[in-house]
Amino acid sequence: MDLSPREAVPTAQGRKRKRPWLAISVLVVVFVAGGLMVAKFLTSAVDYYCNVDEIGTKSGCDVGRNIRIQGTVQAGSVEKASSGATSFVIEYHGVSMPVQVGSEPSGIFKECIPVVVRGRVAEDATGKVFEGDEVIVKHDNSYDAENKDRVEQANAEAAQCSQKG
Amino acid sequence: MPDLSPVSIARPTGTRFSRVLGIASLVGIAWLVVFGLFLSPNDATQKAGVRILYIHVPSAWLAYLAFIVTGVSSAAYLFKRTRSLTWDRIAGASAEVGVLFMGVTLVSGSLWGRISWGIFWTWDSRLTTTAFLFVTYIGYLAVRGLGGTHQQRARRSAIIALLATLEVPLVHFSVKWWRPLHQQESVAEGKLDGLMLFTLFVGIIAFTLLYVWLVLHRQRVLAMEDALDDQGLDVALAERRAEGAQV
Repeated sequence: MDLSPREAVPTAQGRKRKRPWLAISVLVVVFVAGGLMVAKFLTSAVDYYCNVDEIGTKSGCDVGRNIRIQGTVQAGSVEKASSGATSFVIEYHGVSMPVQVGSEPSGIFKECIPVVVRGRVAEDATGKVFEGDEVIVKHDNSYDAENKDRVEQANAEAAQCSQKG
Repeated sequence: MPDLSPVSIARPTGTRFSRVLGIASLVGIAWLVVFGLFLSPNDATQKAGVRILYIHVPSAWLAYLAFIVTGVSSAAYLFKRTRSLTWDRIAGASAEVGVLFMGVTLVSGSLWGRISWGIFWTWDSRLTTTAFLFVTYIGYLAVRGLGGTHQQRARRSAIIALLATLEVPLVHFSVKWWRPLHQQESVAEGKLDGLMLFTLFVGIIAFTLLYVWLVLHRQRVLAMEDALDDQGLDVALAERRAEGAQV
């Protein structure tokens, strides 16, 4: 009888005995990433922003606190300084608030477009002003074909945008 | 002794049906390129940036579909009357393709966000839940790779798949349940211009054909991997028996 040790035969069965380090490593990364996402979600996404008319009235939308506010950029209110600093007025449900940001907003930012601004409300003798750190354009769910014939109609709508809130 | 040469295991994964499906997928994608890049109009606000819509939305919908198929197939495996490893392999294949589509959704959405919102990413409810869904199914695929018998793999991954499927409605309704930056539904509310809507449907048809084609082939590859494992076991058993007979 031959008692010498057998040589391992590289069969497919060996695949099952292989320790699944890659799968375990991926699972660890998944748990860490998932935990971070839940933490971020709970701290920032649950109540993503306050409407302009909720400033000072809704809980969490307090003066001096770091918040995000939503409103529509009022027609004719956008002013850009040579330094890149931009100021404009946003409005929601008939309530407006001046906004100042240190840089020029990107994306499709323009007058009459809904925006979300991250920053804080400052208040002095002249009233409230929102000191913004970041401007995010909030595009609505309507998609209309670009059409030159509609330019006049669009301009007319833009003139009315501040009335919509 | 069973023949372990690749020829006996590696029968082709293609059939006449899958070849027709593959050609139809290619035609659909070509159709999407023509409509998406040339025939559909610019959006009045987003200009040409709107064209990402034709990739972003179909890939998101197909990812939802893929994860729902994974859930249904997993339920079919857990149900005793329909228990078959084929269901498990369909679940695994669909999840892999779903992760692929979800990845496309996240990347295209990020690029679209930079163009229209001005930022690549924000912790908005829709974005966060989508990323969480993506990570969950990567975890599901990792669980499938933990080893054990085919049946052990199928049972544990089926339970996880059923739980993970609950996230799909969470993602879909996140724009209604929370106050998001992401826009609300456009298609259901009729907010898309005619040719834009048509191009979007072209994208959905093309991506659906591609999804079915990918899942068909992938589940056949998974079946071959399982067969390879089983043959390996048969070889090992045959060798042990042969040794026993020599003693």
